[in-house]
Amino acid sequence: MAQSLSASDVSVSFEGLRALSNVTLDVPRGKVTGLIGPNGAGKTTLVNVLTGFQKPTGGTVSLDGESIVGVPPYKVRQKGIARTFQSGRLFADLSVLDNLEVTGVGLGLSRHEAAKKADRMLEWIGIPHLAERAAGGLPYTDERRVAIGRALMLEPKYLLLDEPAAGMSAEEANDLAQLIRRIIAEVRCGLLLIEHNIGLVLTICDHIHVLDSGEVIEVGPPALIKASERVRHAYMGTQAETEGAVL
Amino acid sequence: MADRPSILARTWTTPVILIVILGVLQLAALAVGSGPFNQTIIEIFIRVVLVVGLFVFIGNSGVISFGHIGFTCLGAYMTAWLTMLPAIKKSKLKGLPDIILDNKLAYGWGLLAAVIFAGLAAYAAGKVLMRLSGIAASIATFAVLAVIIQVYSNWDSVTGAQSSVVGIPIVRVVWPYFLCAIAVVLVAYAHQISRSGLALRAARDEATAASASGVNIPRERLIAFTISGGIMGLGGALFAHSVGVVTPDTFYLGLTFITLSMLVVGGMNSLSGAVLGVVILSIIIQLLRWMEKGVDIGGASFALPLGVQEIAIGVVMIVILMYRPSGLTKNRELVWPSNKLSGWGKPKAPADGKTV
Ligand SMILES: Nc1ncnc2c1ncn2[C@@H]1O[C@H](COP(=O)(O)OP(=O)(O)OP(=O)(O)O)[C@@H](O)[C@H]1O
Ligand SMILES: [Mg+2]
Repeated sequence: MAQSLSASDVSVSFEGLRALSNVTLDVPRGKVTGLIGPNGAGKTTLVNVLTGFQKPTGGTVSLDGESIVGVPPYKVRQKGIARTFQSGRLFADLSVLDNLEVTGVGLGLSRHEAAKKADRMLEWIGIPHLAERAAGGLPYTDERRVAIGRALMLEPKYLLLDEPAAGMSAEEANDLAQLIRRIIAEVRCGLLLIEHNIGLVLTICDHIHVLDSGEVIEVGPPALIKASERVRHAYMGTQAETEGAVL
Repeated sequence: MADRPSILARTWTTPVILIVILGVLQLAALAVGSGPFNQTIIEIFIRVVLVVGLFVFIGNSGVISFGHIGFTCLGAYMTAWLTMLPAIKKSKLKGLPDIILDNKLAYGWGLLAAVIFAGLAAYAAGKVLMRLSGIAASIATFAVLAVIIQVYSNWDSVTGAQSSVVGIPIVRVVWPYFLCAIAVVLVAYAHQISRSGLALRAARDEATAASASGVNIPRERLIAFTISGGIMGLGGALFAHSVGVVTPDTFYLGLTFITLSMLVVGGMNSLSGAVLGVVILSIIIQLLRWMEKGVDIGGASFALPLGVQEIAIGVVMIVILMYRPSGLTKNRELVWPSNKLSGWGKPKAPADGKTV
């Protein structure tokens, strides 16, 4: 079986509202897979399904061929699937170092080993000077980096980033793109990138899935997505002014 | 970056400072030496045990428990059963197993048995409770307290029901209580800096993110619940030996309220807060008690009307919480050499200016 994290035929309903309908998506190792779509399309819901936070009402999720449906979130992380959250969700009362250490101890390291790894990770993502700062109240971009560092601890097999560039300037988004390239080159995990910054997605992803109202409406390499009439259509109205220009 | 000192090297001053504070109380008892004064200090040490016990679970998990005093009750009766004279047990508590009825152990064994029994009970209750969270968990802990108190209030042949169990050997020297308080502070500190303690505090801040970091939240909560249950049992046993009498009523809402108050007033997310809350509120309570009895100032005798003590303590708590909503310690730990409260429990916010 190929090394990938995949959802096949996944459906999720919330009391009548169909958030995902028969979604099939594949996140191969060593590649960046993009997931785009208008607000409310179901992107976060899909990440929740892939990480055990949301039980699908239909379909399966498999990690390198093994089904992980019904596995609780903490075990999903222990199996090597890491994620970030749209809203940051740092441990506000803990230091930045401790935020990373938590993943270390969650994955079975002693505090001493976890702290060593956390220090190295902070260095690697370029924020060693933040180690002893409280995570609550960090500037936005630093917060995003800490969240990525926390997810990257102990080199997960798959990393799912939920809108990591939200609220970033063009320059900051550029730095993020570089970080993502380094992750792929050095950690070699499979990466799922959810973003509204279509420019970033088109430049960095190998393969892109477009979700609209819970359904995958287009799949393909950036060039194809860029040219797609259907994608253009889905974005019309909701985000025509901002993203329309980039497409 | 240079090698970072270990967590122990960075934080060991906190338990040392707390033990020094307790040591001052012990020295005061030695210096004064009067029976009533010793009893006051003993009471403080017992409360330190109880409130630190609460802290281990509540402070680290952020889940308020109204049930912990139930484990205190279990500990108190356990040591009573083991350490009372067989003759008394045979007349009053006939339902106890023969092996307990026929024997009398030293109080040290009573304390140990209390810790183990209450810890096991907490483990069993926690197995079920720790799946709940938020207000549901808090209410469920209260149910545990109610169940324990009801059982002990009605199980006549074993607990004497609502009548007092008298004849528990009284320990009047102060140092055993002092040693227990120290031991409990050290256990709480060790748990706090352990992997489990860190994971639990992460879950307290952001449960979802903690799960996404590999933390098995019910398991970490259960560990803390069990340890704190054991500590509460120790507190109950110490209480039993400090007064020689127990009734189920002693371990109900009154004690639940006062211990929780001390934790909240001190700062419920820090060990220092737990200890300081007890020491400071206990001192205030004691002063008020003396004033209720009457003090002579310049020949005139002043006495507060009875009941003022409860009202005053309530007012003091409200005032403290108005000015320090996160408690006297602001949820931070006492550290040396910094002369102000600072800490590893709660690192400096970036807005503070200087980077640490
Ligand atoms: N727990 C829930 N209960 C009920 N409805 C939900 C729940 N979570 C999501 N939804 C709904 O499911 C749909 C998909 O939401 P989701 O958060 O996955 O969208 P998204 O693509 O991530 O959007 P955004 O770009 O705004 O983050 C939305 O209509 C949302 O309101
Ligand atoms: Mg979303």
